[in-house]
Amino acid sequence: MKVLKILIKRNKFWIALAVFTALISNLSQMFFAYFIGELVNKIETRDTITFSFLAVPVILILSNAFTQFFNQFIGRLSAEKMAHTLRVGYAKILLMRSSKENCSVAAAMSVAQNELAQANSYLGNTFFDITGMAFMGIIATVFLLFQNVLLTVILIVPTLLILIYVVYSSRKLSGIVTAAQEEKAHMNKTAYAMIHAFPSVKIFGGEELCKETYNKRLQGWKKHFVKLGRLSSLYNTLSGILSRVPLLILFLAGSFMVIRGDILIGTLIVFLILQKSLTMAIMNLPNWFANFKVFTTNLSRIDIE
Amino acid sequence: MIELKNLSFTYENKEVFKNLSLKVKKGEKVGIIGESGCGKSTLLRLMAGLYEPSSGEMIIDGENIPEKIIRKVSVIMQSPMLLPMSIRENITMGHEVSEDKLKKILEDANIKKWIDSLPEGIETYLGDRADELSGGQAQRIAIARAMCKDTEILLLDEPTSALDGENAASVLEALDRFSIGKTVIHVTHRKEHLNGYDRIFNMKDGCLFLQ
Ligand SMILES: Nc1ncnc2c1ncn2[C@@H]1O[C@H](COP(=O)(O)OP(=O)(O)O)[C@@H](O)[C@H]1O
Ligand SMILES: [Mg+2]
Repeated sequence: MKVLKILIKRNKFWIALAVFTALISNLSQMFFAYFIGELVNKIETRDTITFSFLAVPVILILSNAFTQFFNQFIGRLSAEKMAHTLRVGYAKILLMRSSKENCSVAAAMSVAQNELAQANSYLGNTFFDITGMAFMGIIATVFLLFQNVLLTVILIVPTLLILIYVVYSSRKLSGIVTAAQEEKAHMNKTAYAMIHAFPSVKIFGGEELCKETYNKRLQGWKKHFVKLGRLSSLYNTLSGILSRVPLLILFLAGSFMVIRGDILIGTLIVFLILQKSLTMAIMNLPNWFANFKVFTTNLSRIDIE
Repeated sequence: MIELKNLSFTYENKEVFKNLSLKVKKGEKVGIIGESGCGKSTLLRLMAGLYEPSSGEMIIDGENIPEKIIRKVSVIMQSPMLLPMSIRENITMGHEVSEDKLKKILEDANIKKWIDSLPEGIETYLGDRADELSGGQAQRIAIARAMCKDTEILLLDEPTSALDGENAASVLEALDRFSIGKTVIHVTHRKEHLNGYDRIFNMKDGCLFLQ
């Protein structure tokens, strides 16, 4: 975690810019949904629709497209900056350490290679996408609360119930992730020790034993890895099915409120358009947890005080 | 029986020794001393069949090719080179050994008491605990490993140089017990460890000089 803090601190500017563009891009999306709702309301009440009114969505679409592009660009850039900080900082520490402890940089580097590569790929591929999704969920929630509090609550409560299930499953997943990581470290260590002790292995005829032991470790790791894949796909399928439930409830409750005249049809449409931003963000929390856990485990493995 | 005839050895481009000859009779105990870097370990590794000589011939216990020689010798090196496995596996290296023989080996190697004091005894896993092991304990496991193989020829490469006095004494005691009746070549930088040896050589400039 210390490493992560340093990474963020060193790249404050880029991260802030990424957050800002994400904010604008998300807001333009929200207001576009709001506009559609208003349009439906106007049609419903047979209100006159002016040309200047129709110019609004054009502006919103353009600003959304532009900021989204910009945000993706900035996001990738800051991910790359962070990854760079990580690599350079780490190489520096290794150099210092190798001269002090008289071990080779190459040896230390190869030990940490796996973890570095995975942390890098996480920063590059996953971190900003998922964080962006969570961000969108938060903005959508706030926006919907301004539209109608009751309907927002009706959408959030079942989603929260599902979140509890999701948190439970992600807990379980992250435990297995750690176990799989440890198993893998164990496997690497076994291979390394065998190479180191090769003369002894040869003299005392331990080749068979080494092969067997390594295979056992490999199987152990494979078992964990397969279990991880199986469980995560099970959890994801289940949460996929459950994720439809809030929409169903929203649709039924919302239609009822429209018929009773509590809300305008446009408001329901805003909810129907934006509900996905909210539920998707929550449904993706287990992935976010699992990936983040792998990331921090990798970081802590290469953490040097 | 060990016989080296006009043996030369070169690492890629660095010649370590040239035309070295030595004859060691069965049961004889030979010590080799010499400055660090003069090639003592290289000679021992050669005799162990780990390297192939650049030229010359060596006959070790009737064998003259490295793949066969390696089966005829046991080596104890400066570092014990333990594997991330159980103590038992480190000693037997996966070969079949009777419990009685193993018990006797542990006693002779001066580690029975220590192993019995471990909660999991001889099944104790040495992977993550290898660091907690003292150098003496690790080296005595290496000796037990050699006792298991139990060859006629025993090659020792500074087996106590990394140990403090007390641990070194315990390791030497185990080695003395083990060397009875064996042909021993003992490389060391401490001459006092070679008391009672039949011959002692000083290695210098790639040659062996009888002391
Ligand atoms: N694997 C190797 N490759 C190249 N040179 C080596 C290797 N091992 C040792 N040497 C060199 O061979 C010489 C003899 O080394 P060594 O047999 O370890 O000496 P000693 O055991 O007497 O200290 C040294 O100069 C050393 O640098
Ligand atoms: Mg040496």
